[in-house]
Amino acid sequence: MGKAKRNCAIVISSSDDEKDKDNNLLLKSGFSSSKSAPTRKNPKRAKRVSLPSSNSRQPFQYSSSSGFDEVKRICEEFDQGLTQFKVTPGSRSNKDLWVEKYTPSCLEELAVHKKKVEEVKIWFEERLKNPVDNSYSNVILISGQAGVGKSATIHAIARHLGVEVHEWNTPTPTIWQEHLHNSNSGISYMSKLDEFESFVEKIRKYGLISSSLTKVSPLSIILLIDDIPLVKGKVSYGRLQRCFHLLLQSVRLPTAILINEYGRSESAEHHSRYWEELQSSLQKAGACKVSFNPITANSIKKVLSKIRRVERIEVSDEQINLLANTSGGDIRHAITSLQYFSLKPRSMDSLSVRSAYREEKGAESSHLDDGVSLAFGKDATLSLFHALGKFLHNKRETGSLATSDEGAILLKEKFIRCPLKMDAPELVLSQAHGQATLIVDFLHENVLDFVREESIDDAWVIGTYLSDSDLLLASSASLSRNYEAENVLQSTAASIAVRGVLFGNNYPLSSRWHAIRRPVLWQVEQSLWRNKCQMQSERRDARMNTSLNNHTVIATEFKPALNWLGHKLPDYTANDADDDDKDDDEIEEW
Amino acid sequence: MLWVDKYRPKTLDKVLIHEEIAQNLKKLVTEQDCPHLLFYGPSGSGKKTLIMALLRQIFGASADKVKVENKNWKVDAGTRTIDVELTTMSSTHHVELSPSDAGFQDRYVVQEIIKEMAKNRPIDTKGKKGFKVLVLNEVDKLSREAQHSLRRTMEKYSSSCRLILCCNSSSKVTEAIRSRCLNMRINAPTEGEIAKVLEFIGKKEGLQLPSGFSDRIAQQSNRSLRRAILSFETCRVQQYPFTINQAIPPMDWEEYVSEIASSIFKEQSPKRLFEVRGKLYELLINCIPPEIILKRLLSELLKKLDMELKHEISHWAAYYEHRLRLGQKAIFHLEAFVAKFMSIYKGFLIETFG
Repeated sequence: MGKAKRNCAIVISSSDDEKDKDNNLLLKSGFSSSKSAPTRKNPKRAKRVSLPSSNSRQPFQYSSSSGFDEVKRICEEFDQGLTQFKVTPGSRSNKDLWVEKYTPSCLEELAVHKKKVEEVKIWFEERLKNPVDNSYSNVILISGQAGVGKSATIHAIARHLGVEVHEWNTPTPTIWQEHLHNSNSGISYMSKLDEFESFVEKIRKYGLISSSLTKVSPLSIILLIDDIPLVKGKVSYGRLQRCFHLLLQSVRLPTAILINEYGRSESAEHHSRYWEELQSSLQKAGACKVSFNPITANSIKKVLSKIRRVERIEVSDEQINLLANTSGGDIRHAITSLQYFSLKPRSMDSLSVRSAYREEKGAESSHLDDGVSLAFGKDATLSLFHALGKFLHNKRETGSLATSDEGAILLKEKFIRCPLKMDAPELVLSQAHGQATLIVDFLHENVLDFVREESIDDAWVIGTYLSDSDLLLASSASLSRNYEAENVLQSTAASIAVRGVLFGNNYPLSSRWHAIRRPVLWQVEQSLWRNKCQMQSERRDARMNTSLNNHTVIATEFKPALNWLGHKLPDYTANDADDDDKDDDEIEEW
Repeated sequence: MLWVDKYRPKTLDKVLIHEEIAQNLKKLVTEQDCPHLLFYGPSGSGKKTLIMALLRQIFGASADKVKVENKNWKVDAGTRTIDVELTTMSSTHHVELSPSDAGFQDRYVVQEIIKEMAKNRPIDTKGKKGFKVLVLNEVDKLSREAQHSLRRTMEKYSSSCRLILCCNSSSKVTEAIRSRCLNMRINAPTEGEIAKVLEFIGKKEGLQLPSGFSDRIAQQSNRSLRRAILSFETCRVQQYPFTINQAIPPMDWEEYVSEIASSIFKEQSPKRLFEVRGKLYELLINCIPPEIILKRLLSELLKKLDMELKHEISHWAAYYEHRLRLGQKAIFHLEAFVAKFMSIYKGFLIETFG
């Protein structure tokens, strides 16, 4: 690390300590407040450190090393480390978070794709030019995952056009104690959804005139709804939707609604489906929709190198590359990581080592911790379909057939497979958050499409492995009380299914486009259940004064016979056709 | 009314097959000492008929007046209450039900019902025959726990109620229960016996039966009397007067299975396997139990198979049938069997014909 930097840091901290406790110190005390002793010692130590040679302090401290001092010294050193790295020469401004500091202020600075920005900008320009025109709606939907610059874009455009942004102020959440207190003192609880509703109502009726922004003419206001209240359940979802529709119909101001798109795999429940529905229904109602893609690694790189230039930190191109690639298109995250990174020079070394290691391993990177144990970057999540695609397409290295020199175990020819072109299947599984049953069902449904026509043996191998994993899943269901064992069984089952598919499909088809189907099995199970219920009720209504017959007998013997008696051809495709018309006497007996 | 029900013998004296068993049962009951009974035997062999006739023998005509109802039980299982709904048939003297319909909650059902029955024990004017009969169907499908609790309640309430258990295979009933019951093995009727019954029905209906016709139906019936009578009736509906070589309509699902088998023989490829999967799904949707599909499919496949392969294929069928019973999703195992068959058969074809 540069010596100049360190010296500089010392000067600042020592001079600031005695005088005003502003800017930099605020930050420092913030970091070290948990360790009160070293903080109190701060002035003294700071002076001590301000000796020109920083190395000389170590012998000085060792001389007085009793047990307590030892601990104190460590604390101090730690603290020092913090101060040193924290106070970088560039941080003259008040903003400590780079994310805030480097918020784009004009359109050129946005890392979002130019076309998208242009699209949004033109939309706003049009709306602002002739606001009274009610022929089209005044709402724009902007969707995208977190950190792709949705709000930044709106703010930058607003600044560019010289208009005011009026945001819906998210109410602070009520804590339970607070709620108790409020209800004691007679204030009734208002849910966030209620508040949002009343906000929308107000906007519809009065525009923004009642707000504090009276001096600005209403022409130059953009309404921004960034934080849609979280809803749960169908009823409140319906309310929210109604709310949006009202807004859509009657709002006069150009309004931007930002929708955070979660990765489909992350919340496969109803929640994300609600948002999708909401989006499409709003779109149908005339809202214009722009979806932002994750920011490309290149643009993130550009932004990061700009910050590097301004902050004058020492980060190599390679490291920036790595940061940009692991951020998963989330620029906010990338910037924060960069800031975090510039704090710790030591981990920079390890980063470079690691990246070198990565390069080296490159081809055979099947290590479990690869790419995951990095101290920064998002843990990449995969959508279920992405993961399934990986398993089904079964891409492998070509050429060199397992020529590893260790070769402890020599396999027979038929068991040898080329190394996989992906991470360990279990890792992919864990990234996809897949439930074992779900994965197995999907694999079962789709795998035959990926097996070559002539290799029925492979199909059998796959079939056996799938049947194995079904056995495991079944036994895990019966072990209802032991959750841990169930967990192990489930993940084992998933792993067996996936590895079975990968192993069994020895000569996968050359990759071409395949749609991944939804398992028909679910449908089958549903209609089977329905048919069973029907049979049950038929049995109850039965006027046969005989005994109860079980399902098997009814399905295999009575039903076909009745079909014949009713002069009906066996019809398997329409499964309830034979129950519908009961015009025949025999059938009415049922 | 279907002939199956119309010609079901009402009393133990009128049965046409298993006459000896019927007489023994009659003796047993008239001596007023009825133990718990376990009837087992293949489907269509007359277990139910014998049970109904037996009940009539014990209780007289009032046992015929049955009502079918859906009963709800609220079972208190420690921390929560469980709602169980079951269809029952009951007269004043007996209750019949299939507890295995309740799935994994079957054990609560068994306990609860027996308790309830024990509580309101019928008191005869003469003070005798003070017991009710509980007929439990498909005991072999009960879970281990249910069978266990059944055993205990059997002992506890044996003074107030008698159990008649009915199942296909006694091997799936625990030893403890079997030893507490009088076991009645009901064999499948022979083809001759079936033909005899069919001719009896034909006479009652006033039909002209060509010679050998009833034998042919009996042959096709898999030694199931119920099935034979049903197909006899369908023949009657299809074509009457009968001709000597009139086709006996097969069960539609069986036809479908043989269709599957022939399509397996025609081509062995993943694509074909996928088509077979679709067909198996259709069978499953129509409530055909997977075990029966597998069994039928095996017999269809074995028909056209070379002697050399029969053993191996049967082995694999047994293997996958076992897994099918252990597992949850039948289709996985059925499909694995089909794939295995295709794989073996294809290898065989290549070996023999090059």
